[in-house]
Amino acid sequence: MKLLRGFLWLLVFQLLGHVAVELLALPVSHSMAGLLLLLAWLLVKRHLDESVATASQALIPLLAMLIMPGVVGVFFVADEFAGHWTAIVLALVLGTFLSVLTTLWLMRRFMPSEAEEGNRQA
Amino acid sequence: MNELHASLLDTPVLAVALTLAAYLGGMHLFERLGRPSWCPAVLIGAVLTAASLWLLRFDYADYQRNVAWLTFLLGPATVALAVPLYQQRQHIFALWKPILCCLPLAAMLAAFYAVLIAWLLGAPPVVYASLAPKSVTAPLAMGIQEQIGGSLSLMLGGLLMTGVLTTICVSLLARVLKVTDPRILGFALGVNGHAIGIIRAFELGPTAGAFASLGMSLTGVFSAAFLPLAWRLVGL
Repeated sequence: MKLLRGFLWLLVFQLLGHVAVELLALPVSHSMAGLLLLLAWLLVKRHLDESVATASQALIPLLAMLIMPGVVGVFFVADEFAGHWTAIVLALVLGTFLSVLTTLWLMRRFMPSEAEEGNRQA
Repeated sequence: MNELHASLLDTPVLAVALTLAAYLGGMHLFERLGRPSWCPAVLIGAVLTAASLWLLRFDYADYQRNVAWLTFLLGPATVALAVPLYQQRQHIFALWKPILCCLPLAAMLAAFYAVLIAWLLGAPPVVYASLAPKSVTAPLAMGIQEQIGGSLSLMLGGLLMTGVLTTICVSLLARVLKVTDPRILGFALGVNGHAIGIIRAFELGPTAGAFASLGMSLTGVFSAAFLPLAWRLVGL
């Protein structure tokens, strides 16, 4: 029952997100708005309901399986993007290399190196 | 015989069973291959699914329509991501300054580099819109894709490839730049490589893992707000 009650809570927050997005014409998806509303609710209440924790522990490990049907589609759109694959691959390879480089550099610059572990880095 | 074939393809049961079987098969093969970081389980599962669709002469659009009975769970599962984010609030509060300095810029650049390169190489808007959410965790990226357009399949394929490339780039650049702080490595893996980066981060240790989850969640939330807004402002 805990699982069902938690699942119902998640659906309620998704619906609230739906209402908020449609009424305020927000540029985010319904479930994303639901996530933010649930997060705000948890931060205000400063207490995590056991049923919500149970339902989220059950659902989060399924995320990879739930996106898989969408991934399958990439094998059926090869023709649609013919002629653009060089651009796509280069954008992914070079873009990822550059963004990892930037993140590492930024974090090394701003992360306080004292505290916690002795993993100090110049 | 033909009628049977058609009626089977027309129920959600076959589509859902096929998806579960392919996913479990993918997980199994992934374990058998020694959990290779260059080939995530989802990718193996997707190949198995595509092969079965082809063998069964199952039209992809029909499959997608029927499997929606299962993928409906993506909505509440996305909302559920608020829970781990809430549980990491101590990390966020303790390190809000470096996070505020790095995260928005890092998340923006992750999208910007790819969009810029694709644009320079003459790719049409549908391509770079599909590549923009490449560092965002899939459920949130799907929400972004609803807003900015682009091809869902290309977006998800790019997402997987980005995750794999991130683990490779982080290992390489950490050595070159001599970064050993697990907090920084974890954060970089999560910000750029979403869930696939997190898997690698947990191999480096629990601290790296926690920071990777943090980086992934914050990048996702930030990009879900930022990208649609940027698209609206630029008028694409």
